[in-house]
Amino acid sequence: MKSILLSRGRALVAAALFAVGAAGAGHAQEASRLDEILSRGKLIVGVSSESPPFGFIDENSELVGFDIDIARLVAKATFGDETKVEFVRQSAAQRWPNAQNGTVDFGAQTTTIYADRAQQVAFTRSYIDGGVVMVVRNDSPFQTLADFNKADVTIANLTTPTQEERAKRLFPEAQIATFDGIAAQFNAVKLGRATGAQLDGPVAAWYVKQNPDMRVIEERLTDVVNTGLFMKPGDFRLWRYLDLVVDEMTGGYLFADYSRIYEKWFGTKPLNTKWYLNQPQK
Amino acid sequence: MEAFIVFFTRYLPAFADGFLITTWVAALAAPTAMIWALVLIIPRLARWKWLTRLVDGYVEIMRNSPLLVQMYLLYFGLPLLGIFWSSIVCGVIAIALQHGAFLSEILRSGIQSLSQRQWEAGSAIGLRRSAVIRLVILPQAFIRVLPALGNQLIVLVKDTSLVSAIGVMDLTLTGKVTIERSGASFEAFIAVAMFYLVLTTVLGLALRVVEVRAARRYG
Repeated sequence: MKSILLSRGRALVAAALFAVGAAGAGHAQEASRLDEILSRGKLIVGVSSESPPFGFIDENSELVGFDIDIARLVAKATFGDETKVEFVRQSAAQRWPNAQNGTVDFGAQTTTIYADRAQQVAFTRSYIDGGVVMVVRNDSPFQTLADFNKADVTIANLTTPTQEERAKRLFPEAQIATFDGIAAQFNAVKLGRATGAQLDGPVAAWYVKQNPDMRVIEERLTDVVNTGLFMKPGDFRLWRYLDLVVDEMTGGYLFADYSRIYEKWFGTKPLNTKWYLNQPQK
Repeated sequence: MEAFIVFFTRYLPAFADGFLITTWVAALAAPTAMIWALVLIIPRLARWKWLTRLVDGYVEIMRNSPLLVQMYLLYFGLPLLGIFWSSIVCGVIAIALQHGAFLSEILRSGIQSLSQRQWEAGSAIGLRRSAVIRLVILPQAFIRVLPALGNQLIVLVKDTSLVSAIGVMDLTLTGKVTIERSGASFEAFIAVAMFYLVLTTVLGLALRVVEVRAARRYG
């Protein structure tokens, strides 16, 4: 009886010592979701399933796309195995709470970096440039962007803020119609509800390929936007880790893989962020 | 809480615009739906057999298909026929077409709940059938179904959120735009819900006043 009490006492002391030790370790190294990911052995990534060619369901009911492959590349860099990733399909609005409440480790969802958003989530650096083009019907007489600045023109926008600002800046005379999905935005033009729709270059190329009665205006709406992976803010180690992986993808040892993925979805090779290293020395 | 207040004051002008649009859509759709409901019960009251069956079929189709789909059909389908109604018009008509069907069913239930003797009494004092309907049946039926009508009108106000899917910048779409801008989905949806609550609460109070007055006058 006494010995049991004694051993209980010892266990308590040991537990207390362990707690102190653990707290000490916490000081030495901040707790991070990265540890959880490594011990779990797979990534949990939030993606879109309705934004071709970034994340969509193909004709074989498989989730595919550029963002999907980017998430697999992160898994390959982390575990040496690109299959160690679980995808969570989420809508554009869902991506913020899912990142903030930890439903996903991070999101890869063609998410443009804005200051407002960066107050709510932590972004990595950009992993792909975004640029916006105008899609019109084949039978549209419009050839240049200047043609769109008329009162009888309607521009179909997505709910994103840059589209609204850009439309108001470039086409102050035109009307604006706002849609909460790319398909609705595209169909508004296809069915003659709107004159033109602002779409991301790669998305526009994809849709026009599926709809031969549509075309892209050659003159681009010039703005370059940056697209980052995003996660819950306040986790320095995970954020630093993902930012580093993105840096290695776009201009480091992962560039070969990144380049292959880029070419698979967009048909052209990306420019290495360290492109100047290959320039002849003067 | 503080963060919410900062968010709320920052986006208040946008939400105010959205609120006005939603109020406007509801203010157009509710009377249109009510008038349409009254039109829909005419064939039954007038005992036009074939037209009554047609209306029954219409009501079945309307209440068994989603309002959102009907709205899409009007907005994206009519252009194929060369008809380009604006998104607000398409939204209001879709809401009126479906809610008119529901409201007419409510009116029908009110009329059927009245005793057959009311009809007989009306004709016994020498009223023609149309006068019996106008002076005896409809006023009583209305009072009986007022609570149900009020419910349906509140559902109608909430259903106006569907016009956001066809590009009307109402409260819901304003909320979505705000989320895209700020990444603050929780705050935005709370704000949107608050505005809807204001609208439906005011409507609910107005309906209660109507109910009490009607009860005092006829009850």
